[in-house]
Amino acid sequence: MSLTPEGSPVVEAAAGIEHIDGLFSYALVLTRNRSEAEDLVQETYVRAIRAMGSLRIGSNVKGWLFTILRNIWFNQLRHRRTAKVVAMDGEENAVDFADTAKDPYAFYVSKMEHQQVREAIQRLPADFREVILLREFEELSYQEIATILDCPAGTVMSRLARARTKLRTLLSAAFKTSDFARKEVME
Amino acid sequence: MNSDDEHSHNVSLHLDNELSDQELEDFRAHLADCADCKSQLEEEQALADLLHRSRPLYRASDELRARVIAAQDVSVSGHVPERLHRRVLRLLKQSMGPGELTAFPWRAVATIAFVFVLGMVFVPTIARHARAASYVDTALTTHRNYLDGKLPLEINSESPEEVTAWFAGKVPFDFRLPTSQLLPNDQPAYRQVGARLVSYGNSYAALVSFAMKNDRISLLVASSKSAEAYGGEEIVSRGLTFHYQTKGGFNVITWTTHGLTYALVSSLHTSASRSCLVCHQNMADKGEFREQ
Ligand SMILES: [Zn+2]
Repeated sequence: MSLTPEGSPVVEAAAGIEHIDGLFSYALVLTRNRSEAEDLVQETYVRAIRAMGSLRIGSNVKGWLFTILRNIWFNQLRHRRTAKVVAMDGEENAVDFADTAKDPYAFYVSKMEHQQVREAIQRLPADFREVILLREFEELSYQEIATILDCPAGTVMSRLARARTKLRTLLSAAFKTSDFARKEVME
Repeated sequence: MNSDDEHSHNVSLHLDNELSDQELEDFRAHLADCADCKSQLEEEQALADLLHRSRPLYRASDELRARVIAAQDVSVSGHVPERLHRRVLRLLKQSMGPGELTAFPWRAVATIAFVFVLGMVFVPTIARHARAASYVDTALTTHRNYLDGKLPLEINSESPEEVTAWFAGKVPFDFRLPTSQLLPNDQPAYRQVGARLVSYGNSYAALVSFAMKNDRISLLVASSKSAEAYGGEEIVSRGLTFHYQTKGGFNVITWTTHGLTYALVSSLHTSASRSCLVCHQNMADKGEFREQ
């Protein structure tokens, strides 16, 4: 959303589209299902554009989009009580090949590492997954996360600490592999 | 809060940029003396670095991007059919008598108007489909012209490495044929015959030709910026989506990977999956593509 010189809001066709990777990642850690995540992202943008008028200038658009996505998801969950957990496939398509094509070996290693990070995160409990995504990948502050999760900032902090401890355990194998591989690439 | 907890508390705050300037200064001074905090910070930092290297965790597909943009457009212009409806109504009132008006199918007018608006919104999707269709057509025409002798090969070679080297610098993309790993006694199902450049759009595509007895198979490769794999029967395998279709008496398989779109054309009496052997005969899974 931007303002014309006259001060009237102009809604761009793809408002907030720069957050689509982040929103899609958040949707995937919430749903753990690709098609559900895609529907959730689309619905988020549709609701957002309809509600754009109620957004104040200077509001945190990013945090607002993540809040909308989360609210839609938990409303859906409430309606069907249990979420289906479906294994994801074809993840390798999501990796960006462009800037790594020159060093196929390093690329292969980084792809393995990326895959291990995804798998470890998806193995965390739901409340750990989302707090890791919002902090480590979206770089939101404790307060911004607290607003999205509708909980005190202290809760965000303690949950984040527990999530990191758990994630470190899950990733210890990945750490070893990647350290080893990096060393080999350099030699 | 005991002192250990407070230390790890500050490590987290520091890592997450939540310390004020004064707190940061104090913590840095503390780090110099406290080995526990120092090692904990290093450990936490290693995890953070690993996670940051993995950004973004997932990437939204181009299809999802297009869907979102289209959905927002429909949502924003959702009132347009209503406005069109009223305008059509006014125009008709001017040209018809009041009696005729009641018999007019208003719902149909609104529906047509709405379809019209949707059509405008989904033009990019339609253009994309047209691009996909034209790539399949190009692959088919190329294959037919080659069979008719109108497209002689520019390099005759059975070596994938030679053909890869020949294309380097001639096509506006980086294209490599899988290196042959056949043992001397292996009988390849298909023999690579050679290759040539084919004009496609404003640029070039790479044509690689394969043969077995009287059977010919063409592999056309172009940048995915100008060519799209779309339509037909979709089969997902190993993270790739293959589009199978039968057109003009040939099997055509298209797929996109690493920024390139491939079209494989073979005659109908060859099973489509057998044509996959042009690449897979060099790979460990070749058994999956033999007679089926
Ligand atoms: Zn300390």
